[in-house]
Amino acid sequence: MVELEHVTFRYGSETEASLKDVSLQVNEGECILLSGPSGCGKTTILRLINGLIPHYYAGELSGSVRVNGKEVEQTELYETAMHTGMVFQNPRSQFYSTDTTGEMAFACENRGMPEHEIYARIDDTVRRLGTEKLMDRSIFQLSDGEKQKIACASVDVAGTEIILLDEPSANLDDDAAQTLREIILEWRKQGRTIIAAEHRIAYLWDLFDRALIMDSGRMIREFSREEADVLSAADLAAMGLRTNIQESPKDIVLPACTETDRTMVIRNFRFAYPGCKEAVVSIPELRIAQNEITAVTGANGAGKTSFLNCLCGLEKHCEGILEYDGKSYDNKQRQKLCYMVMQDSANQLFTESVLEEVIISLTAGTADEKTAALRILEALDLSAFTDRHPQSLSGGQKQRLAIACALASGRKILLLDEPSSGLDYRHMREMAELLKQVCETGTTVLVVTHDCELIRACAGRKITLG
Amino acid sequence: MAYASEQAQEKRRGFLDPRTKLMLVLLLAVFVLGGLGGSTLKPVKTVLSALPFALLLIEGKTGRFLRGMIMLGIGYGMLAAVGVLPGVLRHIALMCGGILTRFVVTVMMGEYLISSTSVSEFIAGMERMHMPQAVIIPMSVMFRLFPAIGAEWTSVRRAMRMRGIHLGGAKAGQVIEYQLVPMMTSTVRIGEELSASALSRGLAAPVRRTNVCRIGFRIQDYILLAGGVVTVVLWVMELCGVKLW
Repeated sequence: MVELEHVTFRYGSETEASLKDVSLQVNEGECILLSGPSGCGKTTILRLINGLIPHYYAGELSGSVRVNGKEVEQTELYETAMHTGMVFQNPRSQFYSTDTTGEMAFACENRGMPEHEIYARIDDTVRRLGTEKLMDRSIFQLSDGEKQKIACASVDVAGTEIILLDEPSANLDDDAAQTLREIILEWRKQGRTIIAAEHRIAYLWDLFDRALIMDSGRMIREFSREEADVLSAADLAAMGLRTNIQESPKDIVLPACTETDRTMVIRNFRFAYPGCKEAVVSIPELRIAQNEITAVTGANGAGKTSFLNCLCGLEKHCEGILEYDGKSYDNKQRQKLCYMVMQDSANQLFTESVLEEVIISLTAGTADEKTAALRILEALDLSAFTDRHPQSLSGGQKQRLAIACALASGRKILLLDEPSSGLDYRHMREMAELLKQVCETGTTVLVVTHDCELIRACAGRKITLG
Repeated sequence: MAYASEQAQEKRRGFLDPRTKLMLVLLLAVFVLGGLGGSTLKPVKTVLSALPFALLLIEGKTGRFLRGMIMLGIGYGMLAAVGVLPGVLRHIALMCGGILTRFVVTVMMGEYLISSTSVSEFIAGMERMHMPQAVIIPMSVMFRLFPAIGAEWTSVRRAMRMRGIHLGGAKAGQVIEYQLVPMMTSTVRIGEELSASALSRGLAAPVRRTNVCRIGFRIQDYILLAGGVVTVVLWVMELCGVKLW
């Protein structure tokens, strides 16, 4: 069904090859897990199979990629599109339509399929995947979990025999990952060929027929079902993989705050979007341990991000106060107390160099700004990048820089929104260590996350919203 | 009852055909914003200016309707105040009022077009006008990007507020640069990923595309299209020097 023979590929904009002599054969109806550290070449393999490489992402390609016996390089993209369907990682940028039904019909419309047949296919998919509630909605009103469900439904309607998944669970909570798992099960039943690139392997660990592990552009290990079943946690960690044990943040028990702990208190928090009667955030009283790391959990759509925005003072219409060290802070005052590392940290980096980015964050009146900034960059392992443009850093480095700016600002409370989504094992561990390091400087850390491994690695407390 | 996409598409069909909306945007841009045509066209322009407001109400977009009304109110208020204001203030009021009264209506029409038309409807409309793919595809990507750019804008604004960069603050001179740098990088990235997603699903295949959304002219479209033709005819007559009323 899919064959890669001695494929080497280098993106036009890069100096090193992303794939080095990779061979792979996937049979009809097989379910393959593709895993390995960030930047190992998983996404590149998927792009080769659906033809985006070399037709959209240009570069230097050698070797042969065949889908259904046809050489992808010599086949037009729209022809390959008849056989492959892909669910992308970023739910914000994979929808071409602005409404859910239009999105599901898109691939079939492009093939010129008669309308009545498309309607029949959509109705069938809606029935099997249970997406009734999501139909005829604007995609801008959907949660990330709902968006990924629609992305899967679109692939289902297209009916392609090969399904490619590029870290589809990166932004999903535990329940949404379970839904994704059920959809994959349904595809397996239909005999579709599935290739899933994932860091978060637990939810599909018992679904695949073969697991392929990559590192720095090479295939390093291959496990059959039987071999995979006997792998231990230590084996996985040694290969840089995440845990294969399904766990929900609900199952993690951490001590609750008591009156005797040093705490900050949230009182009468209430926030509703303009025009909505129902509040997204409604917290009469909540104690959060000071100078500790607290994990904030809750399902997709439980208002976790809204909660952080409120705490940061970014929602003008949020009512309530925060008591910190005996003083009470309203919306505006909290803006100077809290610092947030957003989910898309690229949007909070403004300047032309890493060093400048930290310098503008320093508290006013800092003596010798450059030395102070360099010291922070050093502590966060960013010294090598001082002159780089922040937007040219990798995702993980941008996050790190955002945290460096938070430290520079000297604010007392650090908030992070899903900092480990899409991180591999090593980077997740590094993030956990970094948070501990920040916490030791006397900062209170709140982490919104659904990542049980991250919670276990660094959090001392847990609060659940929704 | 089981979901039936065909009926659902019929039910959510827009009040106007996308082609009619495009024509209206064009008419407003030329006659109201551009100020084409003399005094004889005045009543026609008044009717044209009322259209976006009526349409927004019909589609139940009261928020946008009210915002437009308020902006327009401010504009006319300024023009009315010109007589009583002293010196420099008078010029400022005249300028702001003039800009607001001209722009608001056309911008409202554009907002109506974008907020009430899905990308599928837009593509379907363009195809019925026999536009070549080379025009339709980039235009539809742009159409899709507008709301995405809006979302990025808000996100960057929030990040700036959080980091304490305000208009009027110590770093005011750089605020615009700070706003634009991450905006542009993320917009370019989203545009690139959107195109990749669309191409990997067969957009640009050399076949006649089908469309599940329902569009097509109905009585309200014919009335408005006829109105458009009348406007142009009146303008040409005026150009030829025919006295109308």
